Amino acid sequence: MHFWQQSLPLLITCVFGLALVLQYYVPHPASENFLQEISLWSQIIAGFAIVLGVGSLLSAHYQKIARQEAGWGYSAVLFVSLLTVFGAGLWAEGKAEGTFFGWLYDYVLVALQGTMFSLLAFFVASAAYRAFRARTLEATILLSAAVLVMAGRVPLGESLLPGIGALADWIMTVPNTAAQRGILIGVSLGAIATSIKIIFGIERAYLGRGDGA
Amino acid sequence: MREFAVRLLQLDRRFIFVLMSVVTVLPLLYPLGLPVRISPETRQLYDTLERLPERSVVLLSLDFDPASKPELYPMTVSLLRHAFARNLRVVALTLWPAGTSMAESAVTHGAEEAGKRDGTDYVFLGYGPGEANAIINIGQSLTNAFPTDYAGRKTEALPVLEGVRSLRDIDYALSLSAGFPGLDTWYVYGKEKYGFELGGGCTAVSAPKFYPLLQTGQITGLLGGLRGAAEYETLLNQAGKATAGMDAQSATHFLIIGLIIVCNVCYLLSGRKE
Amino acid sequence: MSLETLCGAWLAVGLSLCIYSFLYRDNPFFKLGEHIFVGASVGYLLVITYHEVMLKKLAVPLIEQHEWRLIIPLILGLLLLARFLPRLAWTSRLTFAFILGVSSGVAIPRLLSSFVLQQVQGTLKPLVTVGPAGISFGLAELNTVLILIGVVSVLVYFFFSVEHTGSVRRVARVGSCFLMISFGAAFGYTVMARMSLLIGRFDELILYATPEYGYATVWLLGLVTGGLVWWQRRVRQAETQAPPDGAE
Repeated sequence: MHFWQQSLPLLITCVFGLALVLQYYVPHPASENFLQEISLWSQIIAGFAIVLGVGSLLSAHYQKIARQEAGWGYSAVLFVSLLTVFGAGLWAEGKAEGTFFGWLYDYVLVALQGTMFSLLAFFVASAAYRAFRARTLEATILLSAAVLVMAGRVPLGESLLPGIGALADWIMTVPNTAAQRGILIGVSLGAIATSIKIIFGIERAYLGRGDGA
Repeated sequence: MREFAVRLLQLDRRFIFVLMSVVTVLPLLYPLGLPVRISPETRQLYDTLERLPERSVVLLSLDFDPASKPELYPMTVSLLRHAFARNLRVVALTLWPAGTSMAESAVTHGAEEAGKRDGTDYVFLGYGPGEANAIINIGQSLTNAFPTDYAGRKTEALPVLEGVRSLRDIDYALSLSAGFPGLDTWYVYGKEKYGFELGGGCTAVSAPKFYPLLQTGQITGLLGGLRGAAEYETLLNQAGKATAGMDAQSATHFLIIGLIIVCNVCYLLSGRKE
Repeated sequence: MSLETLCGAWLAVGLSLCIYSFLYRDNPFFKLGEHIFVGASVGYLLVITYHEVMLKKLAVPLIEQHEWRLIIPLILGLLLLARFLPRLAWTSRLTFAFILGVSSGVAIPRLLSSFVLQQVQGTLKPLVTVGPAGISFGLAELNTVLILIGVVSVLVYFFFSVEHTGSVRRVARVGSCFLMISFGAAFGYTVMARMSLLIGRFDELILYATPEYGYATVWLLGLVTGGLVWWQRRVRQAETQAPPDGAE
């Protein structure tokens, strides 16, 4: 059983990982076909991954309803809204234009998602008032850059303070570019190192516990 | 004075919420119409589209969901208007499942407004699952990645895709991205191998990370947030939702700047007490 | 205006105000909106996955065009769902192994080329311009020097294998200053993004407050506010009637 649960997954990761690294440097038609096939398979598996994620969420809410835990009524609301949208989508064969499914998308999903994320505007304002203080040199630099960019990126700032737009442009294209590039190079090297560890079986957290769960 | 400063620092956050609401609503009701300056990265994107010969193929990947609609939908509208006015072929898709219906609606309405024909002048391919894998698959073979378009027609037979077999045949790809997968994913898994011209737009929150790619020329043109969308509307001389929102954007930015100044003055007056 | 649009506008306003009620404090209106949001999002995701992936990419090619090779991703996908069956959960590891192997293998050369080599190349540019008039050093060259200093110092700041003392500490300090400027700029852009979303929603709520939409925003704002007042009173009453802590 150890072979199936531990060794085989490591072997699959190693074989496919190395094959795809080599594929990049060997643009032979056969290797290109291999890449095309693998990317199609990955797309299909991604669909199942969505189902897995949704299943986990629904199972948590189902248990809440079954045990009648506090707030189980809200979980029931979640199921009702899910089934309504899902049923409407199946009925409309996934087409939104001129269907009840499209109506739900426009007036429920768009409104709720937009509003939920716009809430953050209020909390950003509150956080700016509470936490944005010039305590140290670094904090003062951060604060000054933020104020200059905020003022330089809106028409009112550019009308009141000529040249602030160009200054904001310079902040973005020089110091910001330098810092973001440093982060980008560092993060990419980290991601490459992690990928190598995964391919060679050094990083194997995805195998979970040894009991097969 | 010191006590007053300390009390002001402990202001109920709901007061700030009310202030924020008022400052947002007032400019929307009574706009000033301040001019919008065009930034170099927006100009670069506009010029690239302008330089394309008629019937060139533009790929528009609408990689966002309704959460980013206020920022990226106006960009979509402007880019479609520009591409259709220049008589370019538009191939649209999305890598974000929750954005599918919104992307379809944007493309359909944009085409209707310009009097363009579905399948001949434009096509909406639908949702490409698998994030980076979707890009790789389109890069290898567009008809393999999308055997049919969103309406269920065979892509092989569509006149709009004549001569377009993979990403190598795309003249300019634009990704309007709200995160992952988005513009950087299109670079790493698309342009890096298939060598097409790439530009795009993004939510303001992700704009700073794209400047290193702009400086190296890895991406050609960038529209950053609502401001970027307003700049593009100005270039097209067609003021829309983004331009209308710019006054409110100015007011809210200055409110935040004001709050930061007040909090720091109070902080100093209070003897640097929390 | 059609009845569909009118009903839709009232529904959208009602749900939006339920979410905004969170600004007062967590309450049943917000929870209701929140759970409808999650349910509707998941329902929509399932519909798109069913039509765009399961049907178009799997069922139709497999059943109608007999592309039997697609049985492999079908099996791998089903193994992923085996996580719901405790006895067979381990089989999902095979699919995870495939996903991780493929994504790692695909990422390594592309990341190396896109974000390491090309970014380094973009940093290492001539620091002076040599032309017919001789060597010149202008604003463009100054910016190139600043970018070079910034990139190197930021990388030193994140390099923890060497102790940050002496000259390394000084270089790292320069790096942290560049990072602070970038984080400040990022904060400015974050404010811009969040305000844009708020403007977008308020723009719609203002539209729905017009007579054409039956003053939907005005009526529903009153209703939600009234509901919040009623709920707050009930909570206060319950708190005053509840026995003190520790008492039975």
